[in-house]
Amino acid sequence: MRAAIEERYGARAEVSDSFGQLTVDVAPGDWTDLLTFARDGLGCVFFDWLTGVDEPPDGITVVAHLFDPARHAHLLARTRVPRDEPRLPTATGVFRGADWHERETFEMFGVIFEGHPHLVPLLLPDGFEGHPLRKDFVLAARVAKPWPGAKEPGESGAGSPSRRKTLPPGVPAGWGTSAATPPPVRGPRAPRQADPDG
Amino acid sequence: MTAIHDGATAPGEQDFAEGTVYNVNGQDWDQVVEAVADSSEERLVINMGPQHPSTHGVLRLVLTLDGETVTEARTVIGYLHTGIEKNMEFRTWTQGVTFVTRMDYLSPIFNETAYCLAVEKLLGITDRVPARAQAIRVMMMELNRISSHLVAIATFGLELGATTPMLFGFREREMVLDLFEYITGLRMNMAYVRPGGVSVDLPAGAVDKIGEFLKVMPGRIKEMRKLLDENPAYTRRTKDVAYLDLTGCMALGITGPMLRATGLPWDLRKSQPYCGYETYDFDVPTETSCDVYGRYLVRVAEMEESLKIIGQALDRLAGSELKGKPVMIEDKKIGWPSQLALGPDGLGNSPDHIAHIMSSSMEALIHHFKLVTEGFRVPAGQAYAPVESPRGELGAHVVSDGGTRPYRVHFRDPSFTNLQAVPATCEGGMVADVIAAVASIDPVMGGVDR
Repeated sequence: MRAAIEERYGARAEVSDSFGQLTVDVAPGDWTDLLTFARDGLGCVFFDWLTGVDEPPDGITVVAHLFDPARHAHLLARTRVPRDEPRLPTATGVFRGADWHERETFEMFGVIFEGHPHLVPLLLPDGFEGHPLRKDFVLAARVAKPWPGAKEPGESGAGSPSRRKTLPPGVPAGWGTSAATPPPVRGPRAPRQADPDG
Repeated sequence: MTAIHDGATAPGEQDFAEGTVYNVNGQDWDQVVEAVADSSEERLVINMGPQHPSTHGVLRLVLTLDGETVTEARTVIGYLHTGIEKNMEFRTWTQGVTFVTRMDYLSPIFNETAYCLAVEKLLGITDRVPARAQAIRVMMMELNRISSHLVAIATFGLELGATTPMLFGFREREMVLDLFEYITGLRMNMAYVRPGGVSVDLPAGAVDKIGEFLKVMPGRIKEMRKLLDENPAYTRRTKDVAYLDLTGCMALGITGPMLRATGLPWDLRKSQPYCGYETYDFDVPTETSCDVYGRYLVRVAEMEESLKIIGQALDRLAGSELKGKPVMIEDKKIGWPSQLALGPDGLGNSPDHIAHIMSSSMEALIHHFKLVTEGFRVPAGQAYAPVESPRGELGAHVVSDGGTRPYRVHFRDPSFTNLQAVPATCEGGMVADVIAAVASIDPVMGGVDR
């Protein structure tokens, strides 16, 4: 499999081994071609999953796992899209099962899969703003609402004022209910019009 | 004409661009039928869920009906989204176990194992995990598979209107949960499997208790089979319903009992063994009917195979080779220093361990403090580890940047992928068969939405 990929893409693909799994990195332009070639030329007919990894400052890596059920061979296909213009052709034309995986990656990372038949958010509430799995999205639920189970002195703004205030994990310094600048408002807005296509 | 089954709005009719909306909120059914009968349109859009008893949690279905035939079935998910993948990026590698165990709440041990196998791959310690820990993992996973399949069959019976399979299933499941409680201190969400091994060894008497379970359970499964296998009311609702063949499964990425009901003996325990599954003797049950009944038969047969595996694992754990051996990797930099002990009120801190670190060894205290609060570092890289969960391939794709916390964890949850088959299995069928189709997929929404 490795030789076939190297022969077809040459220097355009970076083939490596990650803990016993064949990993191929290609440019976004070769993405659909790689998936089609893997399905038709390499026997990877089983589409397993697709997701993203945010790598600031410049890129978001899109990872797909394909599988050859006859030879029990895995293929981790990766590509990197720019963070400020994350666009990638859809894989739904090659693998029908990529539908929800791409919708999830779209809402969690903001990657736009061009040509996807129904690219709308999948899991988050209607009108949710932001892409939660991006690194710059702050995990702020504990700031917006103090945790009732707080045990540490200083947590939830209670306790002695001389104590260092501890913030929940995932919240940058300077945030919090007593901070000078209140955290930006995120979360559900007014619900959108009901979408019968779901 | 559009009818929306919605208890929140006032009774009566409302006109919308797509048609008339009829609200059904407990008024006399004849009134609804009368109002609908006047309409000339045949198309009916019905909202089902998210709080419908047959939706396995909070799944919402939007069904377009033409008479009794479903022309379009759309699923709306996300009601149980808890941001587990994001949360894990801010906790240590070990704390991650506590999160993943809550995803697919019917198969917590599988979530933990998939995650731990991926972390162990990154750490490069896969071969150094003690054999006793691996055998315990296998045994716990197979116990968990039985409890999960029992819920699948029990709720399925209930959804088709039969209460007895439900009562039987939950009664039997209780035996497994009692074992879990005895071994881990918790019935669900145990966080028992940890990177490098398991959190605590089997308590005294556990082997005997599981031995008793192995004696009782085959008879109980036979009882269940007697009740359902040849039951005409059951077979009529399940045979040739929600047909999905091998090509369809492959295109959509379906795994688990759904795939094995198409005749393909695809099981990760056989095709790419982990935790030493290659050393156990068991079969992969398949059916060729591609329907709901076939999926049921596969599940029941899998429970019987699981009993075989549990028996073998138990023999090893009680045997001289693994008895009294460690259950956590002997690596001071990774192995969890904290010892747990089973007290009268469940699993908790071990008094011996606390006495050791608090009064006799300063080094042990420093080591404990450092590893427990900061955690261990995992070399940078990415790894994917799949396991065969009761619902299919459950995998964890774990990315590390070399720190004490995961950089990114993605879960390939079988319920998520399998639920994409709802349109393929429901469209063109009868509306009553939607219930059977969704139940045969056996989605667990905690795993779908994560």
